[in-house]
Amino acid sequence: MSSSFRISLSLIAGVFFGFITLMITCLLTATSFTEFAGEIRSPEIISAILLSLQTSIVVVLLALLFGIPAAYILATKQFKGKNILDTLVDLPIVLPPLVCGLAILIAFGGEGILSRFDVLFTVKGIIIAQLFVASPFLIRAAKTAFESVDPDVVDAARTLGASEFYTFRKVSLPLAKNGIASGVVMTWARALGEFGATAMVAGCIPYRTETMTVGIYMHAMSGNTSASVALSMILIVIAFTTLILFKYLGNIGDGNTGTQGAAA
Amino acid sequence: MIQLDGICKSFGENKVLSSLDLSAKKGEMFVLLGSSGCGKTTTLSVIAGLTKEDKGDIYIDGSRINDTPPHKRGIGFVFQKYALFPHLNVYENVEFGLKAGNKRGNQSKRGGNRTEVKRAMELVGLDGFEKRNPMKLSGGEQQRVALARALATEPECILMDEPLSNLDAVVRERLRHEIAQLQRDIGLTSIYVTHDQVEAMALGDRIAVLNNGRVEEAGTPEKIFYKPEKEFVARFTGMKNIFKGKITAIDEDNGVAQISTGNFDLTTVFVPSSVGTRVKACVRPEEIILAKSDRNTSARSARNEIAGRIIRIFPNGPLMRVLVDVKGDEMSVDITRLAARDLGLGEGDRVLLTFKATSVHVIL
Repeated sequence: MSSSFRISLSLIAGVFFGFITLMITCLLTATSFTEFAGEIRSPEIISAILLSLQTSIVVVLLALLFGIPAAYILATKQFKGKNILDTLVDLPIVLPPLVCGLAILIAFGGEGILSRFDVLFTVKGIIIAQLFVASPFLIRAAKTAFESVDPDVVDAARTLGASEFYTFRKVSLPLAKNGIASGVVMTWARALGEFGATAMVAGCIPYRTETMTVGIYMHAMSGNTSASVALSMILIVIAFTTLILFKYLGNIGDGNTGTQGAAA
Repeated sequence: MIQLDGICKSFGENKVLSSLDLSAKKGEMFVLLGSSGCGKTTTLSVIAGLTKEDKGDIYIDGSRINDTPPHKRGIGFVFQKYALFPHLNVYENVEFGLKAGNKRGNQSKRGGNRTEVKRAMELVGLDGFEKRNPMKLSGGEQQRVALARALATEPECILMDEPLSNLDAVVRERLRHEIAQLQRDIGLTSIYVTHDQVEAMALGDRIAVLNNGRVEEAGTPEKIFYKPEKEFVARFTGMKNIFKGKITAIDEDNGVAQISTGNFDLTTVFVPSSVGTRVKACVRPEEIILAKSDRNTSARSARNEIAGRIIRIFPNGPLMRVLVDVKGDEMSVDITRLAARDLGLGEGDRVLLTFKATSVHVIL
């Protein structure tokens, strides 16, 4: 009984793993190395890669700037409407990116309240779209990290004469740094992979708003599979690295990093 | 001096402190004793400014500090679970408060906290631990680091929240002696929270028993444990034998009084009251001498002799507790294991309970 159960479990799981492996293998074998090498040297592809890197890095920095205070407040303060804010932060994670894109499009579009800002079909638009979709990952991770800091340790700092800001800088932030780092990795990966909202807000203009994901879509639709595959392969490598980094950061855990630097 | 006047604090529906008053004198070790949930920790938290009181005033040396933020109160805090900074080594932990600038007129000089840190580490016997990771130390050592960390800032007073409750018995006893010694040497006003009576007795210059968010009674250990004014305190401190009764006679010349419980009579020392007053008579289990009733007792100075029958005998810590049926009432007696064996006590045996008039404490 139990062995037949185990066999069925393995079979079902095997189908799933087989499917994923097959898909990735198909993608990886869709082009030859020379084709790949040729594609990634094309100016359009290089431009897409650079644009993706630039925008995603700016997005991570902006997410840190706005996300850390938001996460800290959500993790440590009690106030009315906290649950609503908490849910609001999660919303972009579950919302289809197209809907996020549409929201930005309407807000910054002709009749929108933010129409005076020239954002649509520009790099700024890409950044806003990616920020909207990706920053919740940072806030979520940072919030969990701040929550896991022992409140007694924070209180101890206060009774030792540390102001709230000093305590934040010297206790909460260092203790939450691994959680924040894994949030950064996830946010960056999400920003890099963002397509729906980006395409809605910034369109697909080669050399101007063509990010890697937008490039994959455009080239695949226009029949230039090898360019799509080349971009995809780069994203796959990045995705794997991200996952490994993420697991590594998760394993270190928060707050148990031991001594830092030597004293006296 | 630390003084609390009418402190109230609720968490939602849960009223934790209800008009709590207390005052710890300068240089004394003031123990807050109470069972869990009685508001001990919240009291400390309010004094330190970590929890905002709903009502009431907090004074340190006469100045009201209600609106002073915690980092400007100059109050050291030692936590139950040490609360060391896991990302800093032992030296950096102890130095933290000095760097944060608590110590007036000594705002972090470059590398200039070494003397203060060294002194604090020496006080708690942690010389040579400077570069160790605090998380890898034993519980006792971690609490020493926490103590050194609090002392390094030279606080006005120190609050300790069950600092020994996570340690094993041997370490706990050793550290308790050291804390008592240290506190006396520095003369630091301290409030020490515990649920452990032995600890309260051993450490406290004065003890306050907390119940339902207020001080039930405060006084010297002698008073709290042997002459409490409240029945709750008597029960809480292990006064097992409490009998309701009425004063039947007062003999001022001999300094004694008689109390009748209805089932038996007790002789006690003079009570400033009148005949007919309803009182509670208390006898601590360890104050009673137990003998088999077929033997002669030699305790002639004792004024009370009551016969009874053993209901049950069971271990009570290092002692044996004997429950004796005394004319329908139950009395608890503590005797040593050796005595229990030598007397050959068994359930159902007839025994004679003897105790002095001075052992009978009367709650009016």
